[in-house]
Order: sequence, then C-alpha cells, then structure tokens
Amino acid sequence: MDLSTGTFYLFLTLVWYPGKQILLLQIVVMTDLLERISTCVEFGKVDIKSPYPPAMKGQEGAFELTRHALDKGVSPGDILEEALIPAMSRVGQKFSRNEIFVPQMLMAAKAMSSSMTHIKPYYLSGETKRRGTFIIGTVRGDLHDIGKNLVSMMIEGAGWEIVDLGVDVSTEKFIEAIEQHPGAVIGLSALLTTTMENMRKSAADLRKKFPDLKILVGGAPVTEEFCRKIGADFYSPDPQGAVEYLKTLS
Amino acid sequence: MRVSYPYKDLLPGIDALAGVMGYKSGTAPEPVTDLIAELSEELLTNGEARAEYTIFNHVRLDKVSRTLGVEGVVFNVKPIVFSQLKHAEGAALFICTAGQEVGMRSRRSMREGDLLRGYVYDVLGSEIAEGAADKMQEALRAAAATTGMSITNRFSPGYCGWDVAEQHKLFSFFPDNYCGITLTDSALMNPVKSVSGIIGVGRNVKYEPYRCRQCDDKNCIYRGRKT
Repeated sequence: MDLSTGTFYLFLTLVWYPGKQILLLQIVVMTDLLERISTCVEFGKVDIKSPYPPAMKGQEGAFELTRHALDKGVSPGDILEEALIPAMSRVGQKFSRNEIFVPQMLMAAKAMSSSMTHIKPYYLSGETKRRGTFIIGTVRGDLHDIGKNLVSMMIEGAGWEIVDLGVDVSTEKFIEAIEQHPGAVIGLSALLTTTMENMRKSAADLRKKFPDLKILVGGAPVTEEFCRKIGADFYSPDPQGAVEYLKTLS
Repeated sequence: MRVSYPYKDLLPGIDALAGVMGYKSGTAPEPVTDLIAELSEELLTNGEARAEYTIFNHVRLDKVSRTLGVEGVVFNVKPIVFSQLKHAEGAALFICTAGQEVGMRSRRSMREGDLLRGYVYDVLGSEIAEGAADKMQEALRAAAATTGMSITNRFSPGYCGWDVAEQHKLFSFFPDNYCGITLTDSALMNPVKSVSGIIGVGRNVKYEPYRCRQCDDKNCIYRGRKT
C-alpha cells in the first residue's frame, strides 16, 4: 500500500474477545482510494501493467484500486459518483477545451471500463442504480461509428446504461429498443449529409410513436438548426454537451 | 490510368500522424505514439493502395448555375468548387482506396473493445487513402505538364459545399466495382477508406490553398490542412 500519496481514511475497528478478555485495537489505514481511482481513470491508468502515465508506472491502476475499494467496503455507488463520474467529466471538459484529444479520451474510457468490470455485477443485482438508459445508434445507411462510440463511453462514464445498436440502424430497430427500455433517452448519429435525411425520418417516426421521448442528435454535419428542424431535443458538437444535457434529465 | 502504391510510400511519420489526431509536435502521449508505430509497422509490411483516374478533355462550365458538365452529366459543384474549376478545359475523375483490410482491422478492434487501437487504425486508413490521392494527383500533374497543362486541387463530393449525393453522378462514369470500390445508396464508399472526386485540367487553372474560410463546415477533416 502506497502511503505517500493522497489523503487518508482511518478505520478504527474495536474487536472484543470475551474469552481472552483482550481488547484489540485494529487500525486500518487506507489511502483515499476514490481519489486515486479517479486519477487513474482521468489519466488512463488501466491496471498495474499499464506503463502510462510514466509517473504512475508500476502502481496499481483503476482495475486493482476499484477491487480494493469494494473489498474495504466502499459502495459501488460511491465509486461511481465520487470517482468515475467526476473523472470522466474532467476528461470531457478537457476535450471540449482542446486540452486533450480523442486518443486520451479513449484511454480514459479503457481505464473506466476496467473499473466498471467490478461494478457491473452490482448493477445486475440491483444494489446500485444507473441514472438511466441511453440507446444510441448510427442511422440507416451510415456505417461510421467512432463518434458514436465516443459519445457512448462518455455517457456510460456519467452513470448511464448504454444500449448500443451499432451502425446502419433502422427506425424499427430503434423503436424495438425503446419498447424494451421504457423511459430511455435516445441518441442518433450520422456522418453524411445523405444520411442526415435518414436521421430526419427516424426522428419524425420516433416522435410520432413516442411523443415524450428525448432525442439527442450528433455527428459532423449535424447542426443546432438541423436539430430544431427535425424536432429533436438536443444537439451537441461534442460528447460532454450530451453528458451535461443528460444530467438535467436524471 | 490505374496505379498502385505500397503503404510504405504513403504513411507519414509518427509525429505527423499524431498531428492528424490533434497533437502538436512532440506532445502526443507515449501510448499513442507507440501504438501508431506498432500499427504503422504492421500495415506497412504488405499493404497496397490503389488509384485510378480518367481524363475528359472537354468540360462544360455554366457560370450562372455554377455547374460543371462532363459528357452530358451535370455536376452541381456549388460556388467554392466552381470558383476553382471555372477556367478548366478538361477534368480528371478519380477514385483511390486504401482497401478493405485497414477498415476491417479498425472495426474488429472497436468490436473487441479496444477503441484506441480501432481509432488509430481508422486514422492510418484515412491517411493512406489521402496519401494515395496525393500520389495520384502528382502523377496527373506531371502528365498534364507534358502537354502544357496545369491542374487544380482535388475536390470530392461531401466537401467544400458539394453535396455528397453527387457521388452517384461521379460513379456513373466508372464501371461497377471500379478499383474495388462500390457505392451505397447513401453515397458511402465501400471500402470506407477511399477518396473520389474531380480535378480540373487546363492551361489557365492553378493549384491554390483550400478556401476553408468560405466554408461553414467546422468539422471538415481537411480544415486547416496545407494541401
């Protein structure tokens, strides 16, 4: 255990053994795991084998620290709310300010994902709740997926369950997914001006079938004006904008 | 004219590739530069890009509608492209491709959850396709020069205000599966890492910097590029 970094939690455990009439004072000192997990995610430190960032070489990463935190009794909800979400929020903000670029976002996502492997079972058991479900797909006729994947991982990092329908997604497939996940928010992605027309059709059909559905749109040729014209609820030029919008819904 | 280029002649250095991802020289994190080096090396061993162009000696330019006609097909190229083609006497229609492999590797990595690897493959694929287009353009320039002609920049449907749907008109000049490229209904080329378009040819045309300031596409991949 590295005591040279972070703040400290002191856990005092009093154990009484009546038979031996001994009082043991067990002091467990633990570094601030949440802060360290958060730092690992922000800088893409996946696990102990990850050589990056150089200053953290040889140290445990998000994967191991999350395990330790859970073993020490930190709740998965606290790990999510106090470590992962703030880390991904900082990553998104830095990306919006052009301080980091796509590769660093993806490295952060990988670290977050390694942490989530320990947390996901708690979602499945119902012990920890997501903020909501976000269904995302690239619209019919379009095969581009990098932008969609970036948005997905940032929104997952904000505590949402992601249902990724992939690329070339028909309106029917979106409808089916919404029926399977009532109350979900939907994200439509397009990279071509030709497939923006398919985005328009999908948005119109979805709005007709689900009047209260929140529809987010994005992709290089998409604009705020286009978003308004097709009756979608929100457009953002970058993933962090979508994350901020979703915060207002959850 | 059909040409092919080994990947090793097309990919720029690690620093330049990191620059495409947004990094100023020497600022990309080590895992990124390491991965660029690894995947470049992997692709360089056996990859080859293909390019083809066909020259049409006469084009019809309409200054009122700002359209360009080639053998009866009218391209609505819009003002930015038209302004650079307006003195052309002929035109070369071209397509270039990095091939299927690099795109497949990108998608496979993404599917397997290695988003960074998938992204780096994607960027390398784009640079290979653009590198092939650069080489093809240089070959065209040299060929045109032998007859006293110059060439313009290359322009592609989907950029500089030219509607991507006009890919269908462009592809009407090529036989099916020309250069191994097919076009979807939504005008998406397959392989995705392909470039198509038009280059003006004439005695009074010239190569100029792209007029990005006149274009409202802030997300264009060519914005700010030197060539």
